[in-house]
Amino acid sequence: MNYLAEPRSFAEVAQYLLNLWRREGTLQFLRLSLMLGREKSIAGEMWKYGVVIGVLSFAFVLIMLFTEGGAAFNTSSDGINWGLAVSVYIFLALISSGLTFIASLSMVFGFRDFYPIAKRCVWLAIITLGAAFTALALELGHPFRMLWAMPAGMQYLSPMFWMGIFYLIDLVLLLIKFDRLWHDDWESPLSQSLSIASFVAVVAASGMLGLVFGSMFMRPVWYGTFTAVYFVLTAALSGAAAIVLATYVAYGFKQDRMPEQLRNMASGHALPGVFATLIGIALFSVLVRMWTGLWSHLDGLESFHALVRSPAFHFEVWAGLALPFVLMLSPKLQRQAPWQTTAAILVLLGMFVDRYTFLVTGQALPMFKGAWASGLAEYVPSFTEWMLAVLGFAIVLACYGLGERLFHLAADPRHRVRTSAEPKAAPRGESTAVHELGS
Amino acid sequence: MAKWGMVIDLEKCTGCQACTAACAMENSRLPGENWQDVIFFTEGEYPSVQVKWFPRPCMHCEKPSCMYACPTGATYKTSDGVVLVDWDKCIGCKYCMIACPYGARFYTDEKPLAAPDMRKVFRSKDDHSWSPPWRMPDNREDWRRGVGVQPRGVVSKCTFCYHRVSKAPKGTPDLDPSDPAQREFAPACVVACPPNARYFGDLANPNSEVSKMIANKNGVRLLDQLGNKPQVYYLTGSGGAVPTSRSTAKS
Amino acid sequence: MKLDILNTVVSRRRFLQATAATGAAAASGLGPVPIAGSAAADAKTAAASKTVITKNVCNQCPARCGIDVYTTDGRVHAIYGSLESPISNGKLCPKGYLGAYLLYDPDRFKGPMKRTNPRKGRNEDPGFVPISWDEALSAVASRLQNLRDKGESHRFALLEGRGWGATDAGLHGTFGKLYGSPNVAIGHSATCADGGKKAKLLLDGNYSYNAYDYANTNYMLVFGASFLEAYRPYNNNLQVWGHIRTKSPKTKVTAVDVHWNTTISAADRALLVKPGTDGALALAIAHVILTEGLWDRNFAGNFNDGANQFKAGETLDPAGFTEKWTKGLIEWWNAELKDRTPKWAAGITTIPEGDIVAVARELATTKPAMALFERGPTAHSNGVYNGMAIHALNALIGSMYAEGGLMNQMGVPYGRLPAKSEDFIDDYAKSDERKRHPRVDLVKKEWLMASNQSQAVAANHLAGNPYKLDTILFYMTAPIYSAPEARKWEEALQTMFVIDTSPFPGEIAMFADLVLPDHTYLERLQDAPIYPFQGWPMTTLRVPAVKPLYDTKVYGDILIEIGKRMKGPMGEYYRALGSTENILKHIAKGFEEKPGDNGVNSFESWQEKGCWYKKPYLWRQVRGEFFEWDGAGYNKPMKPEEVKTKLLKTASGKFEFRSSYVQDNEKYAAYINKALGVPVERVGFPQWIAPQFYGGGDLHFISPKVPLQAEGRAGNLPHATSIAQPVAGGRKTVYLEIHPDTARKRGIADGDRVRIKSSAGSIEAVARLYQGVRPDTVILPNIHGHWAQGRWARQSRLPTGSASEIIVNKSEPISGLAAYYATKVTVERV
Repeated sequence: MNYLAEPRSFAEVAQYLLNLWRREGTLQFLRLSLMLGREKSIAGEMWKYGVVIGVLSFAFVLIMLFTEGGAAFNTSSDGINWGLAVSVYIFLALISSGLTFIASLSMVFGFRDFYPIAKRCVWLAIITLGAAFTALALELGHPFRMLWAMPAGMQYLSPMFWMGIFYLIDLVLLLIKFDRLWHDDWESPLSQSLSIASFVAVVAASGMLGLVFGSMFMRPVWYGTFTAVYFVLTAALSGAAAIVLATYVAYGFKQDRMPEQLRNMASGHALPGVFATLIGIALFSVLVRMWTGLWSHLDGLESFHALVRSPAFHFEVWAGLALPFVLMLSPKLQRQAPWQTTAAILVLLGMFVDRYTFLVTGQALPMFKGAWASGLAEYVPSFTEWMLAVLGFAIVLACYGLGERLFHLAADPRHRVRTSAEPKAAPRGESTAVHELGS
Repeated sequence: MAKWGMVIDLEKCTGCQACTAACAMENSRLPGENWQDVIFFTEGEYPSVQVKWFPRPCMHCEKPSCMYACPTGATYKTSDGVVLVDWDKCIGCKYCMIACPYGARFYTDEKPLAAPDMRKVFRSKDDHSWSPPWRMPDNREDWRRGVGVQPRGVVSKCTFCYHRVSKAPKGTPDLDPSDPAQREFAPACVVACPPNARYFGDLANPNSEVSKMIANKNGVRLLDQLGNKPQVYYLTGSGGAVPTSRSTAKS
Repeated sequence: MKLDILNTVVSRRRFLQATAATGAAAASGLGPVPIAGSAAADAKTAAASKTVITKNVCNQCPARCGIDVYTTDGRVHAIYGSLESPISNGKLCPKGYLGAYLLYDPDRFKGPMKRTNPRKGRNEDPGFVPISWDEALSAVASRLQNLRDKGESHRFALLEGRGWGATDAGLHGTFGKLYGSPNVAIGHSATCADGGKKAKLLLDGNYSYNAYDYANTNYMLVFGASFLEAYRPYNNNLQVWGHIRTKSPKTKVTAVDVHWNTTISAADRALLVKPGTDGALALAIAHVILTEGLWDRNFAGNFNDGANQFKAGETLDPAGFTEKWTKGLIEWWNAELKDRTPKWAAGITTIPEGDIVAVARELATTKPAMALFERGPTAHSNGVYNGMAIHALNALIGSMYAEGGLMNQMGVPYGRLPAKSEDFIDDYAKSDERKRHPRVDLVKKEWLMASNQSQAVAANHLAGNPYKLDTILFYMTAPIYSAPEARKWEEALQTMFVIDTSPFPGEIAMFADLVLPDHTYLERLQDAPIYPFQGWPMTTLRVPAVKPLYDTKVYGDILIEIGKRMKGPMGEYYRALGSTENILKHIAKGFEEKPGDNGVNSFESWQEKGCWYKKPYLWRQVRGEFFEWDGAGYNKPMKPEEVKTKLLKTASGKFEFRSSYVQDNEKYAAYINKALGVPVERVGFPQWIAPQFYGGGDLHFISPKVPLQAEGRAGNLPHATSIAQPVAGGRKTVYLEIHPDTARKRGIADGDRVRIKSSAGSIEAVARLYQGVRPDTVILPNIHGHWAQGRWARQSRLPTGSASEIIVNKSEPISGLAAYYATKVTVERV
């Protein structure tokens, strides 16, 4: 092994990095840190590009926020109040929730076939949620004030308050759970109950995110109980798509590079089955929502007509849902890596479009901006907003690469990959082969 | 305790927007940040066209959905019935703007309506988002009540001119701007309104002029079906109308 | 495009002065230098802050609304209508609240400047450098002295726009007389509303707008007057509207216009008239009033036998009808009205016959009622005759000088000036040589009957007919934006020495050789007698709310200071006059004898209250008898001679349907015959003549005034721009209203950029499809399209130019009023 793998604690990582820096000198240390090793690796590439893109986009967004403030965004009090940044938040937060759902398949509901992706799911859930919060924080007027004002306010009638609470609980449980998995604790009562609690929290969180919109009786496009259900169901789909894509990325889109258990899962019938089911449910949800939106002539639903005329919507339905649905049902294609990857990418793109159109359509009808706003509000995200979106994705990319390198995401309770079964007994220090990067 | 409310007589309203202009001046608003707007709407076809309008301040609802949406409690209702924003608590999430059925809230940290950005022309050296030379006197500014030039990154809205109204002697049934003794307490839009189409008073007092007018002239509320129960009433008479829907694109 | 006119150098002295005055460094820097202010720092002194209210008069339109200016810690932060002003009554129109933005406009001129770049043009930076006031004033004086010494003083012209009173425009006539130029001053009235005034002069002998008793009227027939958008006094009109629309009985309103503006939308009846045909409508209404026997017999008289003999198409014997306060009714009927049936009018105006009959009946049977009009009907080639036809209705229904009717405006008893100008006219100014030179606008020559023809100055100068001007000074007017064929001025001003006196940058200043900036109105001490309002006399006073922010000078003092620097008696006169403050103190002495109703009897009390007025209007017509106010009521009967001298100032002392002013003046009759083709024997009658249209297009192009026009400055006031709301919606711009069918035929969709073209030029604007505009007409309010007003106005914004750029420079011959609404354009998608 020629890189740092599977440290057991952060102290270990720090110690290692310090030694490496002393030995290699600053420049070489930075180079190695950016590549996550001496040799090119997929994880290293993800980390490298993630960090570079993330730093650049973050710097750009920060500069724009300090010089222009909110004026760098194309959102407007007269039309679209919540723009691309919020849709990126929803997209990533619901992927996070979906990933927890997928992890729960094995860890809560006992579908043991899905164990090989459980740890990866939990890690991805953590980082997508982190990225989601980052995107949201940069969109807020006062993100730091939120940290005290929300708990101090105790606004128990506010859907957003509960959304914050549940996602916070979700994040904490995910972190504890991941810590347990890091230490190979898959089945202790604590770990088990953490899994269950995490599942409950994430249902509450994603459902509450739905209710942030579903409660808005003055915005009929969003209003209704179905919105919460819709969010939960489509969250599961986007989580499934994310884990399929992420897994393939980690193994260079090749099933034969995967560990056996994972390979079995990827080439089996269960994965495409679950994936297809989730796509089908999402497709159904999108279409029934559209039906009521188009059929009703209730004041406020006019924007559905604009939506059905937009290319984005048709991309979502045909390319983002229908095509992957067919692919994952096709007995010939459903188990092949390229088609699974294609389906995952299309679904993720479709879901991204869905979050965006959901958000914008709900605000398109101006609320008594009358003469000022002729027709539906128009909105095109600004470059800064796109950079904020890029930042969100870069965070996910970088942290995924890092996780892949540090945390052995393919771990499975049935198959211990670790060379040392008793790491605590292993000799410490530079000479530990497992921990050697430079040999 | 008073429950401040407004009555707008649309038979008198001339759509002149003096209210909008006076509000911007009194409250140091940015161009386009129309706390008090006048909404025009047209229906019908030539030569049978209807062009109507109605002023739209914040409705200061009895059940303000913006307040229920606010995750921090920055939006609150005072004991005298006014909905205000505490700029020291607002995190700028804009959820209240989403939740207001009347479009009465503004996030000013956005693209300026007119370039160059006035906030840069009259730049502030402190926490204010800008510092216009004509801004209201410093001792009237009150960020806990959303009065004055706001800091960046918060939501602003009509305060019913709380810095004026709250100084009215207790028990005053109506604030009549033609009475020199009450003039300085009435909201700017009420003082300004040339056709005297606006009335401001205590809705909790059945003997107030506003209460009587609502009773005698069939006061109606905008989008009453939503249940927010605005404290702004319209008298439509035979000349005015409020739209029953928000839609501007009639098909 | 580099417009460094906005970034003029600020001298250190001026900068400090500004800083001291405002507590904020209001320096217009090179580029967007921010104006910094610190509320936190100011907060320390907050406890001690005291709000001071000073009286002033709004500057945003001619109405003279009294305002209370609120100043705290040296900054003006609020303006409200003054409760003490009988015009504002504590209220203001939307423009009234813009005062502080004007005062603190960061683009204001900071002091006198001279041009260094000899080339002039839209894209030429004038290269202004600051100079001292003494240098600036002496430069003007020596230039004027030079012209005088050469015997060419007529080559100095002063163009005046909104004059306020004795201390500004009131000084012009004397200046011209002493200096010896017929062109001091050329007024702006021919680009304003001379058509209405002339129509009234011809019929009732009063060359002025009317005062109206709106509060007591029960019916209003409004022809193209934008009563709820721009008609003066706008603020009071709005107040009146609130009253008359809720009083008992409710005043019924019929509005005639070419698109749905707020006036027509708020009215009970909307009549969408074909542009330029209002006269036909009014004549048909008169026809119906007569044939149906609905005229006011107390005022207009009756048939001797008491039976109505008016039958369509039939002539009558004048001897069979005895008139009372009118003259020439039967002659008018025979010459014109008998054929002006509603059916005939419907064919011309496109207004259904039934509507015409209904309006005529309502107007004549609802008492009191009034017909009023402004530029809509009169800014056409047939404008004066349209106006006469409308104004004649007021005589038929007996509303002249009646309660709820029309009056004239009484003057103010000002005290004497400190010096008598007659004593200071030198031989040069008196010489016959001086009288040889006509006005440069050819008023009294080519324009025999007009008072002004400022819109002709550019072309006349360029053609050298009658001569070329040497020097021109502009006060409160900018024909380069507002006159028809505005771009001609850009050519003309290149070859004159141009002096601008505006406190603000603008298109004139771009061509100016000298800039002598006035104070803004909140810094001025200035009088302003009112425009026609309710008849009784009133004058107002501006009291400075703050010390001048910059090194500016009130315009009247600029003129006086120039005068003082002239040689001979002229200089002596201005030294005797002293200053505008001195003038004000002298004219206020007139109040000592006649204290106002509010107790104002001195300069000091005038400053305190902001206005002097004395109610009531002294005369009233009641059921055909005239009475004078005797202190308790309209009790003193008036003799016909008194009516003639005080009210109906025509040759006959009657309301003349056959105007002796033109009919009995051979020169005038011949002039009208030549200019309009009206047979000499009928020039005196209100009559229909078909309007002429220019420009070669297929759509009428109308550019109405909108409420937020802010006396020309709205272009650089984002606050005004953002709420300037034409009916179809504005916010960042102003739209070209176009009917959807008209647009569709031209492939134009809502929001498209379109080119509006006439023979005079073309501009581009954004099209707004609007059901409320006539399909044969497009509407573009003339509010934007400025290109040099300041940092906001110069942002690229549609429309690309002033509507005036494409309006053909043709004027109504009798009044000289620019035929603003007589241009037809083509509209195409860009």
